[in-house]
Amino acid sequence: MIRTALWLLAGVVLGGAIHLVVILSLPSLAANAAWARVGGLDALNRAVVLAPALPGEPNPLRLDPELAYAVCRLDLRQGPGMVRGVLPLAYWSVAVYNRAGTVLYSTTNRDGIGQNLELGIFNQDQTRLLAQQQLDVAPGLLIVESREDDVFVAVRLAPAHQVMRKRYEAALGRIVCRNNPA
Amino acid sequence: MRFLGHLLAAIATALVVGFGLSWYALSSASIFGTIEIGPWAAWRDAGSPTPDPYTRAFVSRTGALQLGASEGLQFVATRDSDGQLLDRACRYRIDGTTPLATFWTLVPTDLDGSPIARPGGPAAFHSARIARAQDGSMQLYVSRTLSPYNWLEITGEGSFALALTLYDTASFTGVGPTEATLPSIIREGCP
Repeated sequence: MIRTALWLLAGVVLGGAIHLVVILSLPSLAANAAWARVGGLDALNRAVVLAPALPGEPNPLRLDPELAYAVCRLDLRQGPGMVRGVLPLAYWSVAVYNRAGTVLYSTTNRDGIGQNLELGIFNQDQTRLLAQQQLDVAPGLLIVESREDDVFVAVRLAPAHQVMRKRYEAALGRIVCRNNPA
Repeated sequence: MRFLGHLLAAIATALVVGFGLSWYALSSASIFGTIEIGPWAAWRDAGSPTPDPYTRAFVSRTGALQLGASEGLQFVATRDSDGQLLDRACRYRIDGTTPLATFWTLVPTDLDGSPIARPGGPAAFHSARIARAQDGSMQLYVSRTLSPYNWLEITGEGSFALALTLYDTASFTGVGPTEATLPSIIREGCP
């Protein structure tokens, strides 16, 4: 009886180890992470407006049906990433993600950046050049440092009414998202 | 033979504990890294640049476009305030107030995140487009059948979820209030 209990206890301990391995390895193994979904779009160096979340249709990115979204992907090996646009007078926000779908940086237009979205994303080498003033950047540029070279950016825009969605999506589609030569 | 039996039992225990605990930790949102208020639960660090390992696994597993910490916070409920699973056959009243935010949305979805409102109609409640009482409280109804006040018609069968997203909120972020109330979800009846 005691021997059986010891075997089961060993099973529980091993189960705890399996649990830790699963939790720690999931980010690198998950095939349906947001990166993979954004990677399925033609969004490298261009802003792609996402189709709205409609009733009865799959919504893998869990989009809010009230908001309009644009995403773009950047490879910082090609140079610092720049995201620029002029957005309507409404609530909008921007977030930068890494491959695991972790938000590296986010802000909203209530943080004093008005209608103009001016975001620069730099990897660590480029940040060092920036600190040494060997990179020219426009004044007022929001500077984001990324430890990884593969990132994607999502811009959320909240139309006050759904009739404004098309106009707002057009504004999202005009966002410039590309690398600047380092 | 006895040794083999013990070994198989230990391995079975390990697999059940290991994978079962992982599934539970990432599905029930009630072990680590979550905020629970009544039937609502949110992953506190889902929008953080340095999430804890459970939150990181949750973010990867769902594949959702998470809100950054400064963008807002999403609460999800799959049960009503009495602990019963939300059922599309029933009528629910969402009653109370929400924490301070620039705006919020409330979206009924299936368990995979797809909106379940009637096609062609509004897919969600929006804080700027609801009728409120004089004290700012609200009564929202989610049901397949006609309901009073603010009503969102849903379709289909089976269980569902309610996603309440607070945009641009200081609550729970460490700079604003850490205590807040969220509306109750009250089952009013099932035909």
